[in-house]
Amino acid sequence: MIINYIKIALRSLLKNKGYSFLNIFGLAIGITCASLIFLWVEDEVSFNTNFPNQDQVFYVPTNQNYEGEWRTFYSTPGPLAQDMLDDIPGIEKATRSNLQEILFAFGDNSITRRGRYVDEDFLDIFSLKFIEGNRENAFANPEAIVLTQETSEQLFGKGENAIGKVVKVSNKDNYLVTGVVEDLPKNVTFPFDWIAPFERYAEGEEWMTFYGNNFSDTFVKLASEANFETVDAQVRALIRKKEENTTDYAFLHSIKDWHLRSKFEGGEIVGGRITYVRLFTIIAFIILLIACINFMNLSTARSEKRANEVGVRKAMGSSRGRLITQFISESLILAFIAALVSALFLAVLLPQFNLIIEKDLTLGLGNPIHVLVLLTITIICGVFAGLYPAFYLSSFKPVQVLKGLKVTEGSASFIRKGLVVGQFTVSIVFIIFTILVYQQIQHAKNRDLGYDKDQLLSMRIDEDFIPKFDVIQQELIRTGSVQNATLCNSQLLSGGNNGSGFTWKGGTNTEDVLISFRNVTESFFETTGMEIIEGRGFNKNYEIDSTSVLISQSLAKMMGEENPIGNIINRGDGPLEVVGVVKDYVYGDMFDSSDPVLFMNYPPYARYMFIKTKDGVPVDRALSDIEAVLKTHNPAYPFEYTFVDEAFDAKFKNEQLVGELSQIFAILAILISCLGLFGLAAYTAEQRSKEIGVRKVLGASVSGIVKLLSKDFLKLVGISILISVPIAWYATYSWLQDYAYRIEINWIVFLVAGVLAVIIALATVSFQAIKAAIANPIKSLRTE
Amino acid sequence: MIQITDLEKFYRTEEVQTIALNKLSFEVKQGEFVAIMGPSGCGKSTLLNILGLLDDPDGGSFKFNGEEVAGYNERKRSDLRKHNVGFVFQSFNLIDELTVFENVELPLIYTGVKPAERKKRVEEVLEKMQIMHRRNHFPQQLSGGQQQRVAVARAVVNNPKLILADEPTGNLDSTNGNEVMDLLIDLNEAGTTIIMVTHSEHDAKYSHRIIRMLDGQKVTENILA
Repeated sequence: MIINYIKIALRSLLKNKGYSFLNIFGLAIGITCASLIFLWVEDEVSFNTNFPNQDQVFYVPTNQNYEGEWRTFYSTPGPLAQDMLDDIPGIEKATRSNLQEILFAFGDNSITRRGRYVDEDFLDIFSLKFIEGNRENAFANPEAIVLTQETSEQLFGKGENAIGKVVKVSNKDNYLVTGVVEDLPKNVTFPFDWIAPFERYAEGEEWMTFYGNNFSDTFVKLASEANFETVDAQVRALIRKKEENTTDYAFLHSIKDWHLRSKFEGGEIVGGRITYVRLFTIIAFIILLIACINFMNLSTARSEKRANEVGVRKAMGSSRGRLITQFISESLILAFIAALVSALFLAVLLPQFNLIIEKDLTLGLGNPIHVLVLLTITIICGVFAGLYPAFYLSSFKPVQVLKGLKVTEGSASFIRKGLVVGQFTVSIVFIIFTILVYQQIQHAKNRDLGYDKDQLLSMRIDEDFIPKFDVIQQELIRTGSVQNATLCNSQLLSGGNNGSGFTWKGGTNTEDVLISFRNVTESFFETTGMEIIEGRGFNKNYEIDSTSVLISQSLAKMMGEENPIGNIINRGDGPLEVVGVVKDYVYGDMFDSSDPVLFMNYPPYARYMFIKTKDGVPVDRALSDIEAVLKTHNPAYPFEYTFVDEAFDAKFKNEQLVGELSQIFAILAILISCLGLFGLAAYTAEQRSKEIGVRKVLGASVSGIVKLLSKDFLKLVGISILISVPIAWYATYSWLQDYAYRIEINWIVFLVAGVLAVIIALATVSFQAIKAAIANPIKSLRTE
Repeated sequence: MIQITDLEKFYRTEEVQTIALNKLSFEVKQGEFVAIMGPSGCGKSTLLNILGLLDDPDGGSFKFNGEEVAGYNERKRSDLRKHNVGFVFQSFNLIDELTVFENVELPLIYTGVKPAERKKRVEEVLEKMQIMHRRNHFPQQLSGGQQQRVAVARAVVNNPKLILADEPTGNLDSTNGNEVMDLLIDLNEAGTTIIMVTHSEHDAKYSHRIIRMLDGQKVTENILA
């Protein structure tokens, strides 16, 4: 029997090539799209799951209260890790960790790599696997450093033994390689290229041993028998036990949540990337649904063609159940063919998709889970898409269909229209969402940042660079390619250091205002294009200007003084005099307003140099001029730089991803819907061919016929627009609530999306309508 | 074999009710060949559908082999039908996607006959209908006469006790029509009961008895042989 079904299904597919193409192509696009999303989701949920102890490993962030609001920071006090080990029995391992980017030199080879200064427990918490050396001796030497395999190969060459080699770090210190560990998988949220004992970093830095200074990450591993709630409660109480007069508290944040649930509001987890994982999973199912709807619509639309067969089979003794099985088998066969086609599509499209999402996903058809998921999608699609047509077609009465009576469509026609409306509703929602996401990104990108990010280079520097800066700055300017250069202790776009406990004249309860500070050189404001709106800038000689500060506009406003110049700001280490006010600038979250900033004239803390190239100078020339100057003064350093505008664009990665995926889904949803509409229009034209013939004989014009045939479909699109507008408005409104700096939703967007949908639908339907309208009426009348 | 008494069937639309069968009664014995005639709309096809268990009467009694079948549910009707009734339609009603062999095989599949047995029986009946050489062709590759032969082959492959023929020669020229009628006569002579609806006086003469209908009622009954 099943062979009979397959045979008839394949012959039917071949006989109705156009119909089969529409169905298979539509379904294949749907399966491809859903598979791409599921591959992405698989990667997202796989983060940090490559560790044997993943259930026991936790990050320890702190919640701190500023101006009545709880804010979550990953930086914790230095002694926290050790105190947790000492005081909380359920904590088995604990480590401090400080992320640093350092310069390595070995022979003529020099590279900059990010890594972590950590305690020995780090090795156990993350179960690092040693390729060279071993766990026991890795941190035995205070000058030790453990490299990842990739870093080791880059420094010493492939196949070279690394153990015992001495590398120069930051052009001054020697580190002894005591181990090489396997490279970390790509899907971890705490990558590193090297690890070294924390003591080396903390050497001589007594402040790191006190509570009140939050600067290091803390990771812990719980004992296997420990109860999470009990340990977490003890962790939450610890800081307040150790430090007087603080409301700060630490808490446990599972390794499994780091990637997907790392957005905190009011000190609580409120989501994170999990929102997008959920959103895209829903979208995957919606796209599949649209593709299945096509199948249902096309199958029921051509029901008259199958009616006779149903009648014959029933007359021959087939039960309704058998017919249902037959029709579902057919749709399953079709779904399997679509799945094969989609495997081809996936192979072609995955590299492009990887470029968009900046991942390295692989189709992995050798992976049984992937095959199983693909099979499941296929079977669900086949059964789901086939179910309604199967019940509908099998309900035909043989008496009616065998006598050649017209099948009364009744509910089928209504359902079909409803499904078309559903498809177009989804498509229009995607169009609107895509436009608004794009507008929101542009809105943030075009906002007044308070500095000029273009033609601005950023590069990391070490301490030994700072004394040479003045000379280097002059030489850079002399090349004619550079307008100016400056130093700063943090990247322009990131938060950098911050602190509280400031007081000033006229301010009440100012101690818990969180203020960011920047240690800069005198040339900072000119180089970055920041505007001093009041007072003066810094003196070139920072030693005679060390107690002067410039403040951001928002801090000036907070101070409430009409003229803040001359006001004194106090913190533990002496009074600071406000000598200037700088226009607010945006850093950290590009969609939010940033914390107030205090600029200090203290270059020794600088870690970055910014160089502004001159207008009109080609980038290549500017770069080679800069490299020449730097190589003269700093031959040990590789010429590594980033463009601030590129770093700025990278800040929109999440939004860009949502925007681009939404755009792809919009296009696919429209494409699938149009395939369906095209098929439906073809069948409608066929069904009404006699009517068209009669109308033409009676004098109807081609345009009149086209209008007649298109009108009904356009009505459906109109209804879709009406339904989709509130849905799209609600979806985008909810999405925009996550952004403090956001666009106003403009009704024109809805109009544009609506008009677009109408044009697309009209273009799809009119092809069939025109074809029907210009056909010779005699033909259709004769065939009837 | 068939006994109908006061059989009624109505067709209703929102506004009107049409009486298709109006208290119709007659009997058909095992091995008979009965022709039913009458103008269009007199209820012939409705009667045939009820006799073929494709449709349900609205009133009266319908006994098949002594058993009351009016009011049977779809499942029971289907079961009775597939073992006892073969159909021959005016427009052949072959399935376009199946070959001649597969079309004829279909009733055997539904009655659960094993593949080897099916092959044997289909080939036998195709030989008998002289259409064996076309076994792998699709319906649209055959002439009308050949298609109706296939339809007759399909109707008889299950050895039904009753064949219902609805204008079996209506779509055929006279030569092909006569051939189909000869096939029916052969089957009848072999013991199969045949009830045939026709407009053709010529075809009706092949039968033993002609029942003439008008407005859902029997008007005359002529015994020919």
